[in-house]
Amino acid sequence: MNCDEVKRSLQDYVTRELAPEDRRVFDAHLVECGECQRELALMTAVVSTLDHQPVLEPRPGFSEKVMRSLPRQRVFLLSPWWSLVLAPLLAGLVWLFRGQAARVLEAALSRSGLSQVTVPTLSLQQAGIAGLAVVLVGLAVAVGAGAYAWQVYLRD
Amino acid sequence: MSRYMESVSEQVLVSRSARGDEQAFGVLVERYKGMLYSMSRRLMKDPGRAEDAAQESFIKAWAALPGFKGESKFSSWLYRICYNTCISELRKRKPEVELDEAMGVPVEGPVQEFRNRDIQATIQEEVSKLPDDYRAALTLYHFNGLSYEEIAKLTRKPMGTVKAHIHRARAALKTRLLERVGWDNLKEVMWQ
Ligand SMILES: [Zn+2]
Repeated sequence: MNCDEVKRSLQDYVTRELAPEDRRVFDAHLVECGECQRELALMTAVVSTLDHQPVLEPRPGFSEKVMRSLPRQRVFLLSPWWSLVLAPLLAGLVWLFRGQAARVLEAALSRSGLSQVTVPTLSLQQAGIAGLAVVLVGLAVAVGAGAYAWQVYLRD
Repeated sequence: MSRYMESVSEQVLVSRSARGDEQAFGVLVERYKGMLYSMSRRLMKDPGRAEDAAQESFIKAWAALPGFKGESKFSSWLYRICYNTCISELRKRKPEVELDEAMGVPVEGPVQEFRNRDIQATIQEEVSKLPDDYRAALTLYHFNGLSYEEIAKLTRKPMGTVKAHIHRARAALKTRLLERVGWDNLKEVMWQ
């Protein structure tokens, strides 16, 4: 290796990226060349300073500031996805109390003079339950979406 | 922050955060704030802007976490977000300059008295004068400990370019160090 070659592989030598056989040749040249020794000392100073840069800490309160400024769109508790859980739950409740629900519905229908209307395949009771279930599912979705929108509104 | 959360593995913290668990994300912020702030501080230079960039990086990470598939390390993913945030912020501010242009300002010549600490301070000062791309590559390599390949992927630059930037930046720093401190001073300090 001559001086030019040594200078070309100087950085890889310092960062230990030079192949072992090249390293030996490099060392051999170094022993007898003052100028390359100087180059090596300088590059070593540069690389070791760069390698040992300290971790800098932001001002106190940084983490709190970050946490406060997170957008809350994804707050799990109030996401509209809850409607997917709530809807079958409510439908189940409707099923359990279908007798009472049908009576209430029948009474309401007869009061409004619609008791004459008959659905061919569904009994009035079944139709009532189905209608109520649809209403409740819709309500659950609406409540979920409303809560979600309110949450987003509060944060932004 | 509970003791328990601090001991939870990073993988668990990441997947919990992706599902919107703020407490888990808080632990990640606590763990990475120094790393991210140091990185943005070295890229942006100005402490206030560096803090803003670090904060913005965490907020972007929080929003993007559901899409994080774990193909890379979480830290590398976070560094990429921080790098992109800082670089786009820097681009808004000033046009890119070439290395020779940035480092070509003449200096007053070697000073009289010198200590080891001054060598490091001089180098750090010269690092801050490097063009953004060079300083970024140097920071990612030496401070974040990334390989040339990882830096190339992160910065979307060819590996040859990354390597050239790092090598040319170190060479420029070496030249400046010699100019500013002088060999006689350096020799004394380094070989005392
Ligand atoms: Zn030589």
